[in-house]
Formats: sequence, structure tokens, C-alpha cells
Amino acid sequence: MINKKCFAVLSIGILVFILISSTFARSLPPPLVINITSSKTLNGIAGDYVTIEGTITNTGDKPLNDIVTYLSLVDNGTKLPVDLEDWSAEKGLHIGTIDAGQTLPLNWKIHFVKAGTYSLIIIAEAAGYDLPQTSGITQFNVNPKINLNPGQVLPVALGTPVFLIAIMFLLAHRRRVGNE
Amino acid sequence: MKNLTDMTDIIFADNLSKSYGNRKAVDALTLHIREGEIFGFLGPNGAGKTTTIRLLTGILKPDNGVVVIDQLLLSEQKKEVAQAIGVVPESRGFYNWMTAKEYLSFFAHLYGVRDDIDKRVEARLLQVGLLKRKHSMIGTFSLGMRQRLGLARALINNPKILLLDEPTLGLDPQGQEDIQQLLKKLNGDGVTIFLSSHLLNEVTNLCSGIGIINKGKLVAEGTIDELGKMTNLQDKTLTQTFLYLTSNGGERDV
Amino acid sequence: MFKYIWKKELQGELYTWKSMLWLVIASLLFSFTSYLLLTDRELSLLDQTELMLLLSQIIIVVALLIITIDASSIITAEFENATAETIFLAPLSIKDFLLGKFLASLTLWVLLFIVSLPYIIVASSGSHLTMAFIGYTALLGTLGIVGLVAFIFAVSLLLRSTKNTLTTSLITVLVLATPALFSTTLKNNALSQLFSQIDPIDNMFSSLDNVLVDYQTSLLQNWRFILPLVMFCALMFVFLVFAARKFNEEGVIKND
Repeated sequence: MINKKCFAVLSIGILVFILISSTFARSLPPPLVINITSSKTLNGIAGDYVTIEGTITNTGDKPLNDIVTYLSLVDNGTKLPVDLEDWSAEKGLHIGTIDAGQTLPLNWKIHFVKAGTYSLIIIAEAAGYDLPQTSGITQFNVNPKINLNPGQVLPVALGTPVFLIAIMFLLAHRRRVGNE
Repeated sequence: MKNLTDMTDIIFADNLSKSYGNRKAVDALTLHIREGEIFGFLGPNGAGKTTTIRLLTGILKPDNGVVVIDQLLLSEQKKEVAQAIGVVPESRGFYNWMTAKEYLSFFAHLYGVRDDIDKRVEARLLQVGLLKRKHSMIGTFSLGMRQRLGLARALINNPKILLLDEPTLGLDPQGQEDIQQLLKKLNGDGVTIFLSSHLLNEVTNLCSGIGIINKGKLVAEGTIDELGKMTNLQDKTLTQTFLYLTSNGGERDV
Repeated sequence: MFKYIWKKELQGELYTWKSMLWLVIASLLFSFTSYLLLTDRELSLLDQTELMLLLSQIIIVVALLIITIDASSIITAEFENATAETIFLAPLSIKDFLLGKFLASLTLWVLLFIVSLPYIIVASSGSHLTMAFIGYTALLGTLGIVGLVAFIFAVSLLLRSTKNTLTTSLITVLVLATPALFSTTLKNNALSQLFSQIDPIDNMFSSLDNVLVDYQTSLLQNWRFILPLVMFCALMFVFLVFAARKFNEEGVIKND
């Protein structure tokens, strides 16, 4: 009798433990490790096109499905997230499935639009998990582009109106002289 | 009634009419002007003088009637008629940025003058007393100078016929005298002149034939003496005759 | 005959400084635009082809506006300054009159285009699209201007008033230009798409986009944009012929 009761309690306990564990497990992020590998080469000048490179590794014992990774960028000056509309053509990468222990490369081509200091993280989501996994924060600088005379525009921008005004006065002078 | 085919008529208008809405500006007007004549065209304000000139030059299209200029039917040979006539119209716009010489040269080209344009331009400017101002801009000209320039333009194509709408308007007495002498000289050279004027002394001095228009109708036509015989007035000057014929509004024929 | 009218108009434009002022204003606008595009910190980060497209659109719009204002008075001024009667007393046909004035308006467009050339060359330097930029701006601009001037002249002959002609012409240009500036998302409905296909300004911009951004530089690749422009010109010429006939019927002096 006592053995049957014990067995029942134990079974229920194990069942509850499994249920709680699986729920708890679902509230955890997926077992992924994300690294930004190009952190040292990210600094640049506004207007540059750079490639953000990274890796994503499945550290769990089962394959993970429907993996989606994306960038998150914050402007350290304004403390506001950056709208990646102009920075990158591809905002999200759909990886698909990563087998247990497998590592896959990640890369995004982005366009440095505005000068400033930025914090970058890569975020990954997997099917069946409510929380995402993130990489560490990488900071980089975008220096301003200063170019007062790109493509020799200044001589044209100043010179053409001045030239036309000179012709105007020349025509007026010729007309005046011709009529005297 | 004169014959349509009278070969001495250099200007012939038959039954010419033009209305603006309900108002008849010119009403069944018939004119015979002989070659070599200086014909004066008189009428009160709004009588239809300017409309008549515009109908004779083709600037306005008539509602009815026919115009024959120098044996050319105006409705079908407008370009040829334009070559034969010189006109000083009522509207006297000029290109103020042009000099007098440039203005006349421009019109000389439009009239198809090709040879010796400069010579012809300077000759016309001399005739109207503007040669010294040939390089001055028209914008600096007085009203009288513009009148003279308009006359020079009318003469630039050596026309057979001149149609003048108040050519001495705005001129001082000396200027009027000079233009009248010029017109006499041109007539002596064979130019027929159709002259619309308010200045009765001018018409008396110049014209061999006179037509009087009132309310769109030709009320009288003839010489000064012939017009005088149409009235019962003792004073048969053109002034009194004109006032009598236009106040009565009747039609007289010789 | 028409060449004397043409010459007179050009002299008038030069000696009254009219066309020179327009050219100076246009060059100042182009200078401001190109300097801003190439030096502003954010604008200068646009792709070069997008810069070129923006500059070409500004050149076309500025030219359309200047020609509209100039052409709206080139005929009506003759009536308002009382010079029409003396001009038409000469043995000059309405055809020669219009052709001379037309060539004068086109000459202003040619001068505007020449003024824009240095800016085009600077903006497109290194892109291998300089000749295409120049060629298509010239072709599309000329077709657009020819159609526009024909329309304005027809309106001038019918209305005989500078104020009314200018108002009508500017409103027309605005009506045609505004939808061309809408993004493709705003042109999703059938009516907008139909209007886009026939709108000459929209077709000019689309062709320039096709050439400068998508590198479709051959005439065959742009024929679907050029054909509506040609048809626009033809339609406006028909309108002009109708207006000229009406003018001949009414006479030079409409009301005494």
C-alpha cells in the first residue's frame, strides 16, 4: 500500500517536473551562440559600404528550425534605435535549420549613412522558442565625410552664373555703344 | 452707280457690312476711289472710320461685301494686297527696345525687300525727319516721332496705296504741315491716299474726294463743293457741311 | 519670312535681358542643386545614378517652368502692346508668324540645355552615363517643350491675354507634373496608372529613371516612354492648328 502511494506520488512529481521543465525550457532562448567576427574592421566613413560578418552555432543537442537572424543598431549619441531602411537592403536573414553542433556564417552588407557612434547586436529567433538569442554588443564609429569640392562642382556652380552675368553686361554695353 | 469693273477704281468696296453683336459698325458701305486720288474719310467718333479701314486692309473680316484693291480681290489675294498697300493703323504699338532703323529694317524684310534695305530705310527716315534718330530706341521717342515712324513704316514697301488712320494725330502744327507736304509729294508721284481724319482743315488742304460716314453708313460722297450743294446752308465750308450732314444722319448722293 | 520673326524675338529677348535673366536664374538653381547634391552630408551619400536622376528632373522642371512663363507672353504681348495689327498688315501668314515664335521659344530651351551641360558633366563624371544623360535630357526635354509650347501658343491665340494664358499653362503644367512626383506606391490604382502612361512629364521622368538608374540606354528600351511624348506633341499640334484656323476666322482684331 505504502509502495503504491509512493510510486504514484513519485510519478506525479516526475510528470510535474517534466511539464515545468519543458515550459521553462520554452521560456529560454534557443541554444545558439552568435559572434560578430568583423568587429575590428567596422569603423569607417559615412558613405562606406561595409560587410558585417558573424557566426551562429547550435550548441544544443537537437537541430533548430526556422532560424531568423537580424541586426539591431542603436545610435549612442541620440540613444535611439536606427531605422535600417537606408543602411541595409537585407534586414533579416532566414537561415532555416542548424543541426546540433553546426556553425554557419552570417553577413550583411550595410551602407554607413550618418556619422556617429553605434552599438550593434545580432539577434536570432528559432521556432518553438519564445525568446530570442543575441550576440554580444559591438561598438563602432562612423566618421563624417567632408568633401567641399567633389567632382569639381564648385568651379561650375560658381563659374556658370558669373559667366552668364558677364555676357549680360557685355551685351548691354554693346547695345549702348552701338546706339550712340 | 459706278460699275464694278471700273478700271480706274483702285479701291472698291461693295456693300461692306460689319456688326459687333447687335451694333452695326459698318452698314452696306460702298466706296469707289480712283487711282491717284487723295480721298478723305470723315465721320464723328464711333461712326465706323477705323472699322472701314480695317475691313479694307483685311485686318477685319466683313460679314458681307467685297473689297477689291488694285484689281485684287482681298478675300483671295490678301498677301498681294498687303504688298500693294501701306497702312498707318489706329493702334500704334511699337517695339520699344528696337531702334528706328532696326524697326524699319524688320518690316522691310517682312515685306520682302531684299536689295539695298539700308538705303531704303534711311531714305524713309529722311522723308519723315527721323534720320538723325535712326540709332535711338523707340522707347525714347515722343508721340509725334512715333507717328512719323509709323508713316515711314507704311512707306517701306513703296506702296501704290496708302491707308492712313489719323496720320497727324499728336503732331505739332509744323509737324502736321510737314506730313501734309509729304503726302502731297507722294500723291504727285502716283500714290493713292485714303485718309481718315478729324482735322477738317487737313482734309480741305489735301483731299480731292471726300466721304462722310455716320453710324456705319456712308451719308455723303463727293468734292467739297458737291457736298456743300447737298445742304441749304449759306456757309458751305467743310466744317458746317460735315456738321449738317452728320447731325441730320441722312444719306445724300451726287 | 518666319526667320525674321525668329530673329526679332531673339533680339528682343537679348536686348531686354529677358532670356539672359532666365538663363542666370536657371544656372543659379542648377548650381544650388548640384552643390547640395554633391556636398551635403546626407544627400551626397545617394548613389551617383540617383543624384543624376534628381538633377535631370530638376533641369527638366526648371526648363518647363521658364518656357511656360516665357511662351505665355510671346504671342499675347503682340496684342497687348498693339503691335499685332502692324505685323499682320504685312504679307505674313499665321504659319510663318507661329513658326518664328516657336523657334524663338525652342531657342530658349536650347540655351537652357547648354547652360545645364556643365552640371550634367560634373554630376555624371566617372559614371559612363554622361552621353546617355546628355542625349536623353536633350531628347525628352525637346519633345516635352515642343508639345508644351504648341499647347501654350494655341491657348494664346484663343485667349489673347497674357494673364489668362499664363494661368492656364501653369495649372496645366502643375496638373501634369504633380502625379509624376508621386512614388510608385501611390500609383497603384488603375486610374493613376492610366494617367502615368499618358502624362508626358511622368514619361520623361520614367525614361530618365530607366536610363540613369537601370542602365537601359537604348532607344528601343525607352520606346514605351518616348511614344506617349511623341503623341502628346502631335495632339498639341492638332490643337494649335485648330486655334490658328479659329484665329484666321476671327481676324486679328477680335472686338472693336
